[in-house]
Amino acid sequence: MEFLSVLDFTFFLLVGFGTLVGIIFGAIPGMTATMAVAVCLPLTYALGLNHGLALLLGLYVGGISGGMVPAVLLNIPGTPSSITTTFDGYPMARKGEGEKALRICVIASVIGGLISAAVLFLFAPLLADFSIKFSYVEKFLIILLALSVIASLSNSMLIGIFSGVIGVWLSLIGDYSISDGGNGHTRLMFDFMEPYLFEGFSLLPVLIGIFGISTILLEAEKGVKRDVAGQRIKIGKEGGFSLSIFKGSLTNLTRSSFIGTFVGMLPGVGGSAASVLAYTQEKNLARNSSQMGKGAPQGLIASESANNALTGGALIPLLSLGIPGDATTAVLIGAFTLQGIQVGPLFIPENHETWYVMMTALVLANFVMFFLMFFAIKYIAKVVMVPKHILYPIIVMMCVVGAYAINYGIMFDVWTLLIFGVLGYLIQKIGLEIAPLIIGFILGSQAEVYFVKSLESFGTYSVFFTKSPIAMVLWGLIAASVVFAIIMGIRSRARQKMELSQASGPHTVSGKHHGSNND
Amino acid sequence: MESGLFSVSIDFETSHLFFPTIIHWILGGLFALILITKVAPFMVAVKRGERTLPIIGESRDNFRFFGTFALIAAYFYLMAVVGDLFPYTGYGFLFVSIAFVLLMSLLYLHEWTKKALVIVVINAVVAPTLAWFVLAKLFTITLP
Repeated sequence: MEFLSVLDFTFFLLVGFGTLVGIIFGAIPGMTATMAVAVCLPLTYALGLNHGLALLLGLYVGGISGGMVPAVLLNIPGTPSSITTTFDGYPMARKGEGEKALRICVIASVIGGLISAAVLFLFAPLLADFSIKFSYVEKFLIILLALSVIASLSNSMLIGIFSGVIGVWLSLIGDYSISDGGNGHTRLMFDFMEPYLFEGFSLLPVLIGIFGISTILLEAEKGVKRDVAGQRIKIGKEGGFSLSIFKGSLTNLTRSSFIGTFVGMLPGVGGSAASVLAYTQEKNLARNSSQMGKGAPQGLIASESANNALTGGALIPLLSLGIPGDATTAVLIGAFTLQGIQVGPLFIPENHETWYVMMTALVLANFVMFFLMFFAIKYIAKVVMVPKHILYPIIVMMCVVGAYAINYGIMFDVWTLLIFGVLGYLIQKIGLEIAPLIIGFILGSQAEVYFVKSLESFGTYSVFFTKSPIAMVLWGLIAASVVFAIIMGIRSRARQKMELSQASGPHTVSGKHHGSNND
Repeated sequence: MESGLFSVSIDFETSHLFFPTIIHWILGGLFALILITKVAPFMVAVKRGERTLPIIGESRDNFRFFGTFALIAAYFYLMAVVGDLFPYTGYGFLFVSIAFVLLMSLLYLHEWTKKALVIVVINAVVAPTLAWFVLAKLFTITLP
């Protein structure tokens, strides 16, 4: 219980502050938990690891749950993960039950968050223990598995893989570092770039650029309209809420929380997948789902418990394998690197104190979120109205601070923001996917080291198949994820064909790739 | 252990190119596949007028889009220039940020009412100053 001495007043203050700011970010449509974490990273430079984590985990939990506010009140999901909350939340708000709907969401969220925190606490050390024995061969295969899982869950597997490989390619720019056993030569660049890019692009400016600047560019393109202008927010009358609504929802709540946790564990798969899956499962399995979509509390419960359960789930692969479970945890990797800590199988055994501090912060953030949202929801709902012309310049400014300060004042890191802001914009425009690209970028240079070192020591490609039983199991999982993607692809194509033949009128090909970036 | 078919030896001098070469081949292969299965049908649909090209064929608020781009580029550039005039103070960040926040707010503001303008100006002064004070002074973080 030594770690208790680390928990001072500042720690609690930071968790609370982080959660509040996170909720605000989540509640503003177009801003996400990832952005909240990225924008607030510079604050952690001066904080030290434990306090920094307190702030960031607060932001994470707050950011994911904040999305419910505009989802219920305005029918706009504040974050992609609250898409299914709009289905039942908005109809309820229109009936004047906005406050009741939000309170149901808050309770579902806190339960989802706590269940996933418990799973994280029990499961991450086990997985880390197991993966400690992995050699380079297995580590490489784990990365391959992570990338194939992300790709198979993308809208199109081909596009997903392609995006992931582009990410890997981007990560290889720079030198083959001597500290990793490389020869120190640079590659994939022209000579004049060497002074800037010798060590490649820094992770954080890349992430901040892709999630911060490109969002601004996408909004600017649409003219930065005030989509909530003129609408009066009606939160509805007091009361109407009682805990009895949750009677009979225990199965739903538990199932959705576990779905959320599990989806969170899959690398690169975001909150929208978690809540959609939980929602459809409730619809399929519930005894009475006829009211779902028209304002049924059970829909809210499924959606919100699943998307908050994501938080704990996404931290499992991060803390046990060093592989981020979603875009937000990818930014968290940056925060760890900043403090000089390598996340991976050794993280929990070597940083016992930090591990307990993180768990405390996560659980605490869930409770803070609960109290803030349950009792102050009326006031928080007002932030939805903050005009974007005030907000966006401030976000760009914070992005700059984050990028500049990361390596103690390198102007090229600021330009990296713009480069990747534009790149992120183009990628989303032509229909490639951000999430696989980011994960590819984060894991690419490690994949190289593991791959080349394995070959150097064994001298044959066959080692990747025959090294150990674990390697074979991993190949089995990789194959399974590919087969899964192919079957899903065939199914959705068949469904599309059916719909096309049924709608015999002028055939309209349904909308372009729907961005399912998990930010 | 050594199976002739799969054996490989990596020359240390060129080992930095080993993995990138593989990645290039994979990228090339995937790109060709995408060209055939996705881009070609898409282009056919574009020709028939069913779909539009991304970016080029879409409607866009050109003024705000390119304005944003130009403002951000100027912001990054001038920050370093002004920062060099006052080294180690963070003034480059402070002064250029005030101008940037003001201009970008004005760019995005649709209706120039008196009340809105006052808020914009106050925000442009207060927000960067607050950020500068908290980060540069309280937390002693390096700023341009």
